[in-house]
Amino acid sequence: MALPPSLRTSITPPELELVASEQLVEIVPLVSMERTAFISGAYGPLRPPTKCKVPLWMASNLKLKKKCHIVPPVWLNTDFLQERLTEETTSPSFSEMPFRFAELAKTLLDVAPDDLQNPERIRSLLKDIREARQAKSREGLAKLDHNELLLNNLCAMEINEIRPFFVRGMDVLTKLTREPGQDAMDQT
Amino acid sequence: MEDDYYSIDSILAENQKIQCTFKVDVPDMGHLDGGKAGDIKALSKVQIPLWMAYILIYSDYADFTIPPPFAARVRNALNAEPRSVRLSNLVGQGGLWYGFGRMMMHLLNDEPAEELSRVLTETFRARLPEVIDQAQHFASLQASAGSGSRGGDATVAQFREGMDGTERELFQLAQESAKKTKVWYETSERGRR
Repeated sequence: MALPPSLRTSITPPELELVASEQLVEIVPLVSMERTAFISGAYGPLRPPTKCKVPLWMASNLKLKKKCHIVPPVWLNTDFLQERLTEETTSPSFSEMPFRFAELAKTLLDVAPDDLQNPERIRSLLKDIREARQAKSREGLAKLDHNELLLNNLCAMEINEIRPFFVRGMDVLTKLTREPGQDAMDQT
Repeated sequence: MEDDYYSIDSILAENQKIQCTFKVDVPDMGHLDGGKAGDIKALSKVQIPLWMAYILIYSDYADFTIPPPFAARVRNALNAEPRSVRLSNLVGQGGLWYGFGRMMMHLLNDEPAEELSRVLTETFRARLPEVIDQAQHFASLQASAGSGSRGGDATVAQFREGMDGTERELFQLAQESAKKTKVWYETSERGRR
């Protein structure tokens, strides 16, 4: 299968969003539904007003048709994010964030801002966190080695963004680094 | 830059000429120097492309000197401030300075090769953050409805022109991925559907 050159270097962000939307979120349904089988699994039954866990794609679909309310995940609130932000700005390593927080947060902010308390503040906190992490990954770039580079706690979107040039940079460094014992031309 | 025979990058990198001193007489090869026919005498200096020089040196028909792109002057400039050296001046606009250096490394013995490897890796490491910074800056310029080329600092534009082929490739990779991510984030604010 041949990919166009623009797609060969990394996954596209919309694809990552699709992968992330398999994650389960809790909803408060407004309609009833029997236990239904989908390709990825069987979900339901939906019995308002009991909460139920469904995949994000389904939750967002129902929400857009005004058939449910979404319960924000544990980490999507101003206190948690503020705490993480101070952690980001004070410690030199990356703080622990849910692996696909960028995609989940974006989707939830898009479809269900009314289910979140203070969505504007959440948006700005997320932006700050993102920028702090970008600055740190830039520092990691300076330590680039041809052997290995360990950046703990990076999240899916961030890994995807830095992957192409990090990998290529390490490639170049590997070529340029001379291992001891490599034969030179004039050695007899 | 690979060892692959068919690698376009290696072929381009090897296209640079280096100064060789022939050790033996070579009949009828005078035209290699461009122009005159006739023989090459021993101890005459000729400019030969690297891919040819490789074999000559291996078979011990010639000796070579370190070419200008890696001379002491360049090394001193790199020691002082790697980001201000214009690599594209040394090997021509589409040139591959790192690739050339790597080929040279294969020609040298242990000690000078180590030294050259050190120069190459440190230069690369020092210039890389600058390359990526500029790439991300340009990615954001393009994503936000192309606000034209903001030339900005003269040094910034100079660095961009001074990048060698490998750095340009990395610049493009970084710019592409940063642009895609940025565009994705931006569509979020506008709320589709």
